[in-house]
Amino acid sequence: MSEPLLEVQDLSVRFGGITALDHVSVTVAPGEIVGLLGPNGAGKTTLFNAISGFQKPDAGRIALAGEDIKHLLPYERVAAGLGRTFQHVRLFANLTVRENLLVAQHRHLSSGSLSAMLRLPAWRRDEERAQARIESMLDMIDLRAWETSYPPALSYGTTRFLELASVLSLDPLVLLLDEPASGIQQKEVEALGPLLRRIRDETGCSIMLIEHDMSLLLGLSERIYALDFGRVIAEGPPDQVTKDARVLSSYLGRTRRAHASA
Amino acid sequence: MTQHAVDLAPPIALPAGVRRRLTSAELAGLAGLGAIALLPIPFGSFGFFVGQFALVYAILGLSVVVVTGYAGLVSLMTYSFAGIGAMVTGVAMASWGWPFWLALPLAAVATVPVSIIVGVTAVRLKGLYLAIATLTFADALGETFFKWSRATGGQTGWVVSRPKPFVSDVSYYVLLLAVALGLVWMVTGLRSSRMGRAMLAVRTNEREAQALGINVYKTKLTAFLISGMLGGIGGGFLALLLKQVTRSAFQSPLVEATSILLVTVVVVGGIDRALGAFLGAVALVVQQQVFQGARFFFAYFGIYSAGLLIVFLLYRPGGLMQVARLQWRLIRARPRVGITVAVAIVAINVGVAWLFVRLG
Amino acid sequence: MIAAHPVIEVTAFGLASGATFALLALGLVLIYRTTGTMNFSHWAIGLLAVVAYLLLANEGVPVVLAMLLALAISPIAGIAAYRFVFKKVPRANHVVTILITIGVAQLFASLAAMVLGFKTFTRLPPWLPQGRVSFAGARLNTTDVVTIALAVGVAVGFLAWFRFTRTGRALRAVAQNREAAMLAGIDDVRSATIAWGIGSALAALALLLVLPHVAGKQGGLITTFDITPFGTLLIPAFGAALVGGLVNLPMAVAGGFMFGLVRELLVLAPKPWSDLRSVVAALLILVLLVLRTERFFVTAQEREALEA
Repeated sequence: MSEPLLEVQDLSVRFGGITALDHVSVTVAPGEIVGLLGPNGAGKTTLFNAISGFQKPDAGRIALAGEDIKHLLPYERVAAGLGRTFQHVRLFANLTVRENLLVAQHRHLSSGSLSAMLRLPAWRRDEERAQARIESMLDMIDLRAWETSYPPALSYGTTRFLELASVLSLDPLVLLLDEPASGIQQKEVEALGPLLRRIRDETGCSIMLIEHDMSLLLGLSERIYALDFGRVIAEGPPDQVTKDARVLSSYLGRTRRAHASA
Repeated sequence: MTQHAVDLAPPIALPAGVRRRLTSAELAGLAGLGAIALLPIPFGSFGFFVGQFALVYAILGLSVVVVTGYAGLVSLMTYSFAGIGAMVTGVAMASWGWPFWLALPLAAVATVPVSIIVGVTAVRLKGLYLAIATLTFADALGETFFKWSRATGGQTGWVVSRPKPFVSDVSYYVLLLAVALGLVWMVTGLRSSRMGRAMLAVRTNEREAQALGINVYKTKLTAFLISGMLGGIGGGFLALLLKQVTRSAFQSPLVEATSILLVTVVVVGGIDRALGAFLGAVALVVQQQVFQGARFFFAYFGIYSAGLLIVFLLYRPGGLMQVARLQWRLIRARPRVGITVAVAIVAINVGVAWLFVRLG
Repeated sequence: MIAAHPVIEVTAFGLASGATFALLALGLVLIYRTTGTMNFSHWAIGLLAVVAYLLLANEGVPVVLAMLLALAISPIAGIAAYRFVFKKVPRANHVVTILITIGVAQLFASLAAMVLGFKTFTRLPPWLPQGRVSFAGARLNTTDVVTIALAVGVAVGFLAWFRFTRTGRALRAVAQNREAAMLAGIDDVRSATIAWGIGSALAALALLLVLPHVAGKQGGLITTFDITPFGTLLIPAFGAALVGGLVNLPMAVAGGFMFGLVRELLVLAPKPWSDLRSVVAALLILVLLVLRTERFFVTAQEREALEA
């Protein structure tokens, strides 16, 4: 296996008396699709929060493309090549679909407020570039019909696609997807797998995905980590992990609610 | 979770040079500007005075549009920035003999150190802390800067006069209209830009903004700086309006009260719309002049503007721009109902104003 | 010993003025913790009590009765403001929440100004005992001593109520984790109403305590009443609340006394500083903000509860 793109070593996170993550180590190779499974409360989202900078770990190491990113703020990690989606879709409800995508172009533009206020050529160039990029995005993710609508008017599945489009605009090296299929219709779930694989094939990014929908998770992942009680309890190819006794008992031994969370 | 759905305009200047029609809200905003522009015609020099007042408040309103409407930060020191601008203009013109064209940029730049101190302290914290910080600094400035004789010109203050080619009422009024319109143009341009969209994003959902790579601290600080400078520019024109700038105009808590009035102007107009500043200014400044005759002017006007602020925040967070948009849709869909409602709104406003004048 | 007197006397002044800040901060933090609203109209709600007291006392109503009636006005106003205005704003909408409390502040303050504007006050018996008392060789105002005792008593009583009674614990539950509290059957609207009621009453008491200082100079004779000094009380009150990270009640009380002390002790400082009360308050608040006192008192979970 080549040099890992994302490397998490011995990561621990504690809140109050609870240990949410206990010496967790995961790696993601370039272009790899890695799955994370585990019952609710196992620490999967906490892991994503720690990797993306929204949760401060108590110990451990996080490196992206060899660089230590643990001290970086979330937006700095984005600049380093990390992208993530959230379990509950968080878009800008006050902005149209178009504007949501334009916001996501932030990284690729450079003009400042002064050139915007004076409508200088630098601003004009940036605007044209941003508009051109989102045009292709709107078509690729099939959002053209919704471009002037606001997120609350869209179906949940469509907002998920919008979120995906936004995060792809960042040109990430590693994409962390937190339950991308939760709350969306079966038809759209089936379309999601090929879409994600296509994204990986065309952009070369790695994907790490938390998912409760087993067919999607097992069908897409090349390697899987199983978590429970904040620890990695198994790792390996899908068919091996799903037969692992510890993994099975982690699901059976706990009340497992359906993947649609509150 | 979502904020009140504040309807936002589509971006301007599509790449292929496509022109688009003005929205109903924009027409309403321009109508507000037009109303201000035409005030002197029926009302003569009183019209000039009220119009100038409205325009200066519209410019100061732009300061609130950027910091609160775009970036979602509550700042209670807008009028403090105006005061700094006014005083610096006064010192530069009356004491150093500078022309207005040099004094005005200086007024804008003078606000920067204050913006930086307040901004840097508070941008890493919740918006609530910034609100408290701005209130505190407005008060502290009242005690220091606005009592410092070198800056305030002592008891007599500074006497300033209009820049040379624009001395007559009409020419100066046209200048002021042009400047106000120009600043609105600039602030509107900011909205459809990388930084402007970053501000809107930070306002709506800070976490998501971070997740998209936006440096939220730099964005907030930028909004605060721009807002301060707009306040300073407004202060420069305020100085010309007052003709004699004295420190009593900027004593706390008058500073805080006027900052609140500016927030009201912008909320009533349309908090994240530069053009809304004209609408809000017309609505409030004109009413303010109407109330002047009442005996307990400050109290009545205070109740009226506070009431407006609360009602708009609860029911029409997009301000009069939103009302215009909704009203237009209503008129197109159901003309009779739409026009009746429009007439009713105007009638109620006139009635309330008349009532207050009678009671006073 | 000759030097000790000014220090003790000034300390007494400081603690007496700090009493007001302590009570204001207590109310602010209570309301903020329970409902997530930072009440910029706190001083204005208290002001209504002052106005009520002035009107009643001027009409010859006995002092104690006037006080009690006045103290009842603020909770009514505060609860009404909550039910008709604040309740309608979603918690997560921070900008609107702050702006709307400012609007309510202006409304109540203007109302107060309007009501007062009609009156001149000729008879205003002081509602706190007058006179002087000796303490450790210094001569102190009885008013100050009673103020301090009253504030401390009320604060301690409130904290005990908050900690040990069923209603108090219900409020704490709502403050910690609203959803869990609701699931446990605690009515969050009722809790909020109680918080607003008590908070407003505290604000009323706080402002009434300061009234003699604002108005007392002319020996009870006031011709026009100036409400503007009351607005500036909010800033040290915020500062006091910040000492407790905006959530800790006992620290807010301590913070209030501290701010009062610092302000008055400034009188003893060398010349330029002695006039700069607002600046010193601003500097203190700046320091508290930079220290991010919140993190000492708020768990991540409580922060989530306050946010949404």
